[in-house]
Amino acid sequence: MSTDAVLRALAEPQRRRILTVVRDGELPAGAIAEHFDITHQAVSQHLRVLKDAGLLRERREGTRRLYAIRPEAIESVRAFLDDLWPSSLDRLKATVEGDRRATTRRHA
Amino acid sequence: MSEDTFTTSVRIAAPPAEVFPYLTDSKLVVRWMGDWADLVAEPGGTLALDINGIPVRGEYLVVDPPHRLVFTWGAAGNDLLAAGSTTVEILLRADGGDTLLELIHRDLPPEELPRHGVGWGHFLGRLVVAASGGDPGRDPWADP
Repeated sequence: MSTDAVLRALAEPQRRRILTVVRDGELPAGAIAEHFDITHQAVSQHLRVLKDAGLLRERREGTRRLYAIRPEAIESVRAFLDDLWPSSLDRLKATVEGDRRATTRRHA
Repeated sequence: MSEDTFTTSVRIAAPPAEVFPYLTDSKLVVRWMGDWADLVAEPGGTLALDINGIPVRGEYLVVDPPHRLVFTWGAAGNDLLAAGSTTVEILLRADGGDTLLELIHRDLPPEELPRHGVGWGHFLGRLVVAASGGDPGRDPWADP
């Protein structure tokens, strides 16, 4: 499972809403779609993205497809989350100091 | 420190006056965070920063160069982390020729009642913040 795929899956507001809808338990695709004004096809596409990212588990029961949250996907990106500002500030540091060295060289 | 506050710091080998513009200048900000920025760095000015497709939106509350910057921070279209719903404070302190930069991110969404053992609302809200600053290109958790 890729954290990148998880973050991209979560970047879309409707997909975040889908996760909120299913967080209390497994639901069939039709019941999920009832929460949205978009087409069932659009919901299906969102479900596939979430499933491919590892955020949802899909189970078939007869002709129905049931979806549930995979909490382990959440845990896997927690570490990434904890690294958010530190890694951004590391890039800030590298950028400022790199510019500084370039300026010093030009003026040397 | 309360659970809805995150704090971190970094030392940068340049004085605060050199570092500060990297926090307020649209062209300089995108060199370390995001891929598009429109910053109006004055009190009441808007902060707009798109990163990995996530529209981060906020407002500058305090702009006190080169030592202090406070702005709100949220993601447009996200109920859990509404635009401007959290606050980031950045403090720059001179130390020799260096800057000690401290960042405090407050008012992150409070944890909802745990369901299935997952503080989902809390996590999701914070994750959007993370995604906003994340750099998938250097993601150590990515599949090989």
